[in-house]
Amino acid sequence: MLEIKNISCSIKDSDVEILNNLSLKINTGEVHVIMGPNGTGKSTLSKVIMGHYKYEVKSGDILLDGESIKDLEVDERARRGLFLCMQDPTVIEGVSNSEFLRTARGSITGEKVNLYTFIKDMENSMKDVGLDFNMLHRSLNMGFSGGEKKKNEILQMKFLKPKYIILDELDSGLDVDSLKLVCENINNYLIENKEASLLIITHYPRILEYLKPDFVHILKDGNIKKTGGMDLALEIEKNGYTNIDSMIGNDNDE
Amino acid sequence: MMSKIIYVLDNNESTEYKYNICEDTIIYHFSINSSSRVEVNLVEDNVSLYYYYNNINYDDNEFNIKINHLSNNSHSEVFNHGVNVKCNKLTYNVYGVVLKEFSKCRCMQDNQIINMDNGKSTILPILLIDNYDVDSNHSAYIGKFREEEIFYLMSRGISRSVANKILLNGFLINSDSLELDKINEFVLEIEKI
Repeated sequence: MLEIKNISCSIKDSDVEILNNLSLKINTGEVHVIMGPNGTGKSTLSKVIMGHYKYEVKSGDILLDGESIKDLEVDERARRGLFLCMQDPTVIEGVSNSEFLRTARGSITGEKVNLYTFIKDMENSMKDVGLDFNMLHRSLNMGFSGGEKKKNEILQMKFLKPKYIILDELDSGLDVDSLKLVCENINNYLIENKEASLLIITHYPRILEYLKPDFVHILKDGNIKKTGGMDLALEIEKNGYTNIDSMIGNDNDE
Repeated sequence: MMSKIIYVLDNNESTEYKYNICEDTIIYHFSINSSSRVEVNLVEDNVSLYYYYNNINYDDNEFNIKINHLSNNSHSEVFNHGVNVKCNKLTYNVYGVVLKEFSKCRCMQDNQIINMDNGKSTILPILLIDNYDVDSNHSAYIGKFREEEIFYLMSRGISRSVANKILLNGFLINSDSLELDKINEFVLEIEKI
């Protein structure tokens, strides 16, 4: 279970508060969606959960399976099963995809990755997500298109086997066919890994055609204003975010 | 067409190098705590030169490189990567010279120094271009590894120290075609940083 308890946070060394007393509970196996207009703190939330260096948690706590991870380093959070599929994955020149993946897997499992099984595994996984096998030996995300970067994130997810997956704007940069393919991969992952849960961050409900959510949350002004099901997402698609107060679903404002 | 490939390794010495380039050439220059002076003349029309300088630095050192375009349509790209490990001075003077009578040249340089501590690093890109029909640019970066890169690696479970190691390796050994057995000494030196 991933539990966010009354989190307030701001940008480091500034008073600008982005998240304000936000709470969210994601049980094992659940799929949650956070939607909201630009600049409401959706991406910030994902980064704060991962422990990004730009943000400072002022109050509240983040719990993984009941244990606080708020003061843990980023790598320790990852080793406990957190995975953030980033909106704009970082390009790292000189570090090959293959070296990166094997080091990451080794760090998480604590065991050396066998080269032969790694190559066999990658041949299949890269075909699954629609990436050319040669990209394994290229510098990490370097010269990759926006779509290829996203596919590479999902490749990492498949290989590192996280329990808590956060998808930050997965659909940006992906064409319709690629989005469908990538979502198939995520769905298969969820079927194969019953323990895994998913937090999807998105502007558009389009991705929800492929990834069926259990809960839809609307984030505005740094807090969750509404929680509902798929019908809430569809209403957003129809009417936008302007009148969320009069929409269906449960009010979260206390 | 195959390029001629040259490996050079300086280890705690100060050396001068002079090259006259008559065919396409790649030079891999590895340097451990050394001050070197390099002068390259591109003397044949249409030749290309790729120069990769990879440097680990502990004391006060200076690296001078000068590329003279003495031919038409000649092409040079210089990549200087340095790691300044301690609090010492490290200076790169990087000259690109195109004389008036030679046109259609390409003269590029990319310089980066990573400060592991609070070293005083300086990069001086000096392009002396006397012909109008030339493609030329330079870039320079001095600082730590980008926090964004460290975050990305750590977010996949890699510890900060291993992330730094990976970035150092990628920064100092930056070509797939390098024959590592030729630069064993340098590879071992990276481990010590």
